[in-house]
Amino acid sequence: MSFPDPQPHPAVPPAADVSRRSFLRTSAVLTAGLAALASSLRPLFEMDDFPSAERFMQKYYKELTPEEMAKVLRRIEGEVEKQYGIRPHVRDLRPMDGVEFVYALNLTRCIGCRKCVHACVQENNQSRDPEIQYIRVLRMPHGSLDIDKAEHNYAPESVPEKGYFYMPVQCQQCRNPPCVKVCPVHATWQETDGITVIDYDWCIGCRYCEAACPYWARHFNFAKPAIPKDRLNPEMAYLGNRPRLQGVMEKCHFCIQRTRAGRYPACLEVCPAGARKFGNILDPNSEVSYILRTKRVFIQLKEELGTSPRFFYYFDV
Amino acid sequence: MDDRPRNGRLNGRIRTAAVLWGLVASFAILAAAFARNPWGRPAPREAIPLVDPAFLSTATNRRSYADLVRAKEDLSDYDCYACHEKGKPPTLRFDEHQNLVIPPEHADIVMGHGEHGRNNNCFNCHNENNLELLQSRDGRVLKFQDSPQLCGSCHGPTYEDWEAGAHGRISGFWNRTLGLIKRQDCVNCHNPHSPTFQGRKPAPGPHPLRPPATPVRAGPVH
Amino acid sequence: MTRAIRNYLVFLRRCLGIAFVGDWRYYLWMGLLTVGCLLGLNAYAKQLAHGLIVTGMSDEVSWGVYIANFTFLVGVAAAAVMMVIPVYIYDNEELHDLVIFGELLAVAAILMCLAFVTVDLGRPDRFWHLIPGIGQLNFPASMLSWDVIVLNGYLLLNLHICGYLLYCRYQGRKPGRWFYIPFVFVAIVWAVSIHTVTAFLYVGLGGRPFWNSSIVGPRFLASAFTAGPAMIILALQIIRRITEYHITDKALLTLRSIVQVSMLINVFLLVNEVFKEFYSGNLHVASSRYLYLGLDGYHALVPWIWTAIVFNLVAMFLLVLPLSRSLRWLNLTCVLCIIGIWIEKGMGLVIPGFIPTPLGQVVEYRPSFNETLVCIGIWAFGLLSYTVFLRMSVPILQGRLARSNEGRGAEVASAAPASSPTRL
Repeated sequence: MSFPDPQPHPAVPPAADVSRRSFLRTSAVLTAGLAALASSLRPLFEMDDFPSAERFMQKYYKELTPEEMAKVLRRIEGEVEKQYGIRPHVRDLRPMDGVEFVYALNLTRCIGCRKCVHACVQENNQSRDPEIQYIRVLRMPHGSLDIDKAEHNYAPESVPEKGYFYMPVQCQQCRNPPCVKVCPVHATWQETDGITVIDYDWCIGCRYCEAACPYWARHFNFAKPAIPKDRLNPEMAYLGNRPRLQGVMEKCHFCIQRTRAGRYPACLEVCPAGARKFGNILDPNSEVSYILRTKRVFIQLKEELGTSPRFFYYFDV
Repeated sequence: MDDRPRNGRLNGRIRTAAVLWGLVASFAILAAAFARNPWGRPAPREAIPLVDPAFLSTATNRRSYADLVRAKEDLSDYDCYACHEKGKPPTLRFDEHQNLVIPPEHADIVMGHGEHGRNNNCFNCHNENNLELLQSRDGRVLKFQDSPQLCGSCHGPTYEDWEAGAHGRISGFWNRTLGLIKRQDCVNCHNPHSPTFQGRKPAPGPHPLRPPATPVRAGPVH
Repeated sequence: MTRAIRNYLVFLRRCLGIAFVGDWRYYLWMGLLTVGCLLGLNAYAKQLAHGLIVTGMSDEVSWGVYIANFTFLVGVAAAAVMMVIPVYIYDNEELHDLVIFGELLAVAAILMCLAFVTVDLGRPDRFWHLIPGIGQLNFPASMLSWDVIVLNGYLLLNLHICGYLLYCRYQGRKPGRWFYIPFVFVAIVWAVSIHTVTAFLYVGLGGRPFWNSSIVGPRFLASAFTAGPAMIILALQIIRRITEYHITDKALLTLRSIVQVSMLINVFLLVNEVFKEFYSGNLHVASSRYLYLGLDGYHALVPWIWTAIVFNLVAMFLLVLPLSRSLRWLNLTCVLCIIGIWIEKGMGLVIPGFIPTPLGQVVEYRPSFNETLVCIGIWAFGLLSYTVFLRMSVPILQGRLARSNEGRGAEVASAAPASSPTRL
């Protein structure tokens, strides 16, 4: 690109010499401006979660050596003890070989009591205020699976109500997870046992995964999570229920601290109607294998999206 | 071209000075305002009550006779022959509508097993010759702790599902090599005399971060 | 070598120096913008301290005005290319000398985009996780990783092109063709790509039927090429008024025809979209219904979107009429375009994608006061940057700030001739 010839402007004699007044004025503006700048940053002093150098530089989960991981776990235990006064036990549980977890939920049996919601909150140290709940129970009218007809806030005197069925929704641990695809920093990925996990110390909080999830299963910490001290669950896992920070995502991880130790997830244990079934689909003798073999009708929510969820809703009759 | 009056330059200098001093004042006010910090804090939210711990209990609906035996609890209420005579089957009384009349000693039992009073006979399940045992319609005599087999003698598909773990409650370890499970019996959830689940009060619903000012939707709309 | 560096540093120092000198209107404008920036900075500090709860966002509507503004501004940045194409491919003489103002606008817009994305992050201290090699950039699967690369690349591209040309001008030598022409052609393609990548951020989400549609990409480009040149038309007139830089009406009218065609395409695509959503009556139209008509009694966005549609239609009619050849009407039309497209692409695209939620809930969104201050702060910062760029580049282009008058100080470039005290 060529520029036009410079338009003829006469060279100007130097401006009037800088007077003391002008100098005073300039410094006054600069000083006032800098004061305003410094003062504007004052709220940063109210931040009580300033990351330590160690946490700032922490490596990605998959790159941590066992020694580094042990150090990280001890650091987390120390942080939790400092905040809650209870020393937790934080482990890094690895997936078992030959295991792929599947969840089956019996829609004939669910009565919509929401005990699973609260058992999950208790087990997984979720924030009570702002409230984060991994499970959302939907009340659906008989005859329709149109989610736009779901009611989230039902509060009758007694459940189940006539004319409705209840469908709890949580992370479906999809085989083809859209959240994993869109995360810009690999903070969420799927492990070999099928659980989609989040490295809370790697997540940058962009919330793209939350936009991508078709099941509204991913939740964001808009503020520092508030967990009552007397309800803290001290049995924790790094990828599971250790307390999260402000600004990171979290979601159902099939109670990884329990299931990777061979136990049932908390939501299943508390369900009074036995509507929830969980197990290893690669084991032909598990109850979930039996269910997927014998029941005739399964619903995988939003199947047409190609997410291939590992969560199967079925009916007994 | 510019045809402002000759003293335009002076005007300009005055205006410049005014603007710059105005900026000094604005910055100073801003600095003070930031220090006082009157706006921008998160709005106070209504406190969300903690959930009643009763909703977190994993206890079953009811305890069965077999549970009481296992727990070695007081079984004096279950001593049938404290009142009944051995060897003499108790007599059942029916009212004019063919409904079973529950004697006052067993007033806590409410019959409701099957519609239209289908199962209106105690001895469909209880063994009239030995009240401490049960009996199925195909002639098997069963102990109380084997009651699932009795239920299964009519409810076949459900029994099959229960055996496979697909019906009812199992707690403990999905990985049976790592620990034991506890499989609940039928009567841990279902009252055998009136098996339909009672309704119960649901636990509190969700508290959204940004609730609507006025709730608009009360139920399904379309 | 050291002399080259010294020369460059002197050049930078003089440029920086000139940015602090001007007449009272300049100080007033820059002062207001600085106040805006400080308000935004303070609001952001509060957000860092307390978390994103100080915004109006929630799990139900998890992206808000930050991403809305980001989306709009990526379009503005891409639209700088709309001046480059006529000049470099079609050898348009009128726009030849003005392309740099478009590219500088692109730089300012990209800076604003980067700022909006940063303030939207929950943990900005972990930005380094995005750096390929050091972090774990999920390229090529994540469209956000593409966005990180293309936006920063576009910024560097434009900084190079503008910086190189301005420095050559300053030194009074002819720029070497190989140092900028290839980059210009790359920038043309790159500009289209930044906006397509941003569109694909939305299009790729199967769980959001409002966005998962092939019309989003073309609509983005059509609206970008309407709003961007409209902003440039207004900016050029301001430059002409304040600096007497040589800008012909014919250049403005060339830009007008770009806005005209783009707006026609934009409105056509809108008609396509509305037909597709509403004619077949299938169930996935809840988001569109919420946007245009309201849903279940919630209708916060309805007045906004209809205002945008009216503005766009009026602008479209004005653009096809010869009436808009007159600058006064053209300016009004440009303002209508910019506001209309800002609404429909910002709030009218981002928010309805979240309503209803994938589980059917309707939770509305309203930006909080703090959030608004942060937006104002970033816009102020962008305008401040653009003003500084112009403050530096116009004197260079006019020859008043040049190597040849080094040593006589910045006052040479800044002080106006005696008869016109207020010109830059």
